[in-house]
Amino acid sequence: MAQNAVATADKKPRKEKRSQFSGMSKALVRRETISAYLFLLPSLVFFIGFVVIPMIMCVVFSFQEMGLDSSATKFVGFANYIKMAQDPIFWKGFLNTVIIVVVAVPAVTAFSLWVSSAIYQMKAVTRSFFRCVFYLPVVTGTVAVTVVWKWMFNPYNGLLNQVFGTTGYDWLGNSATAIWCIILILFTTSIGQPIVLYVAALGNVDQSLVEAAQVDGATKLQVFWKIKWPQIMPTTLYILVITTINSFQCFALIQLLTSGGPNHATDTIMYYIFQMAYNNQNFGYANAMGVILAIIIAIFSAIQFKFAKTDNG
Amino acid sequence: MKKRILALLLAASMSVGLAACGGGGTSESPAGNSDTPSGNTPSGSGETVELTIWTYPIGKFGDYDTMQALIDEYTAANPGVSIKFELLDYTNGDTQVTSAITSGTAPDIIMEGPERLVTNWGANNLMVDLSDLWTEEATADIAATSEAVVNACQLDGKYYEYPLCMTTHCMAINYEVFEQAGALQYIDEETRTWTTDNFVKAMEAVRDSGLVAVPGIVYCGGQGGDQGTRALVNNLYSGTYTNADHTEYTANSPENVKALELIKSMVDNGSLNANAGFQAADELQQFANGTAAVTFCWNASNKAQYASQVAFTPYAMAFPSDDGEPELCGGIWGFGIFDNGDEAKIAAAKDFIRYICDDPEQSKESVQLTGFFPVRASLGNVYEGTETEADAAEFLTLMPYMGDYYNVIGGWTEQRTNWWNMLQKILTGGVDAQTAADEFVSASNAAIG
Repeated sequence: MAQNAVATADKKPRKEKRSQFSGMSKALVRRETISAYLFLLPSLVFFIGFVVIPMIMCVVFSFQEMGLDSSATKFVGFANYIKMAQDPIFWKGFLNTVIIVVVAVPAVTAFSLWVSSAIYQMKAVTRSFFRCVFYLPVVTGTVAVTVVWKWMFNPYNGLLNQVFGTTGYDWLGNSATAIWCIILILFTTSIGQPIVLYVAALGNVDQSLVEAAQVDGATKLQVFWKIKWPQIMPTTLYILVITTINSFQCFALIQLLTSGGPNHATDTIMYYIFQMAYNNQNFGYANAMGVILAIIIAIFSAIQFKFAKTDNG
Repeated sequence: MKKRILALLLAASMSVGLAACGGGGTSESPAGNSDTPSGNTPSGSGETVELTIWTYPIGKFGDYDTMQALIDEYTAANPGVSIKFELLDYTNGDTQVTSAITSGTAPDIIMEGPERLVTNWGANNLMVDLSDLWTEEATADIAATSEAVVNACQLDGKYYEYPLCMTTHCMAINYEVFEQAGALQYIDEETRTWTTDNFVKAMEAVRDSGLVAVPGIVYCGGQGGDQGTRALVNNLYSGTYTNADHTEYTANSPENVKALELIKSMVDNGSLNANAGFQAADELQQFANGTAAVTFCWNASNKAQYASQVAFTPYAMAFPSDDGEPELCGGIWGFGIFDNGDEAKIAAAKDFIRYICDDPEQSKESVQLTGFFPVRASLGNVYEGTETEADAAEFLTLMPYMGDYYNVIGGWTEQRTNWWNMLQKILTGGVDAQTAADEFVSASNAAIG
């Protein structure tokens, strides 16, 4: 009896189990977690339906030889991957893709940061004006943008040749210049979103830290690198990843301006996937290239996460 | 760590998703709605049969109002059928059709040529056999115009296309520029032909006149209008694109290589310009603007399309040939039916095709809408007594030059990409003509299957 009383006494002041992070009871945490997952459910359904399942299908199809006639589909193992490794156009496309990413991503990021730094402290109206100007190519349809650029690059009566006095020079038909023209257009259509994001991020930098640094005698450069840069790092990481993926997936510009030419000078993996799937109707091979492109993007993204990670990121 | 893995997964999935969307050959029938009420063919009674028609821009079959009027007229007489239509273009049309096939939403009826209907979709078992439309009377009537048309519409004994019209693809010159440049002396205006030597002299005369920014543009920025560049190369020294059996590509023959070398030399001396960023539509626009003095992509349909833009006389010409006897690429257009597994729809689709192509009154009008010429000999000159009689006569002159219809060879879609890439290599990439042509033939023959 006494023992029971002691045991009961031990149990009575029993501590409620609490989360080591929030301090909330575990039951409450569980309830909130369930609610959170329920809120996520609609997005999750779309994510699974339109991303995860196609992703799995892509991997499965990559091991098949398949065309328009579905009855002729057959399993070919790694044949598509072996073919890819021996395909010079794929490697040319890979090289061009890397060039576009390596040039466009730093250029877009640096330029966006520079513009944002210049405009984020301006008056609201002026700041909005600049944001609109830089965002305009993003909201303008890709076809409209490329039609205008195609006219500007026209060798016989295009604006560029009229300005530079180089009538007849074929910007898009020359292997040496075509890819740079694509990168230039990609640049103009890619900077809008990063600028808007950077302006917002810079506006959210803790001003007390900036003022404290200035009081301590920090130069403008020191304030930027030591105070602002670390605080906008999560935004930078997001911009890097999104711009990288967009650059890897650059397709419409190439389709509408050069069709991958001249002499495969603007062929990218993404465009070659389209060519294989829709022109040559070789879906198995196209899917195999899609898998490899995904792996490449994942590697690039991993590198960016590695080098741009923050303590809170 | 979990966050990082999730983020990487997201990044990877974004790219994979697009590729997967292009795949997915379906084991289902290509056209969608199998649950469409299938009761009535036009001759029956009951529920409405819904048909979908997609047309490439073949004359006014690419015009919304014309198509709507045509369909309204048919459905008024056939209340058991309702028809939706979609207009395709040659830039994105193939992509749209491929997407539709893979997603099981292909149209019921499609209008194009044998290279798509027969060699591609028919060969992939996606089309309905239209042998019952090819009655003895129809076959004899079409064969009286050209046996090649009958052969082009069938594969392994099955007819996948029922043809409506045909034409020859040709080129055109800016008549006034040629006149002022003193180049008209190099063409035979009566037969609309010229020899290769005279073509070279004419283009040099145009170049030296300085009347236009560029004498002519050899476009090779894509596959659009590639029949023009193929015909140019094949005709210059009487080469052929395929062998007679249509089982091998022959673009690396000595005649074709010599032609490619001649074009390259003309590009080098400025009497032609090679443009690896242009497709036919771009070149045609420069011709219409008066920037270029010739176009290598001309036919009645293009003439009608650019009629309002040109401020000169576009004069249709055969492609130059060494012997003065050109062999022009033919164009055949007609209808095919995607096998949607719904017999009522298939029956209704066949009835609509009969109406467009065989109805005594409508068939003439249908051909006139295309701007081309009837495949049925019994229709005669459908433009006689019409406003467009003179225009039609211009192209009718060129019909006797129709050459082999080689478009039915296998690997057609692959060779189209190979062709303009080959031209780019030779004309802008400095690759030897024989080497590039050998690569073209090797890659294209491998795709024949």
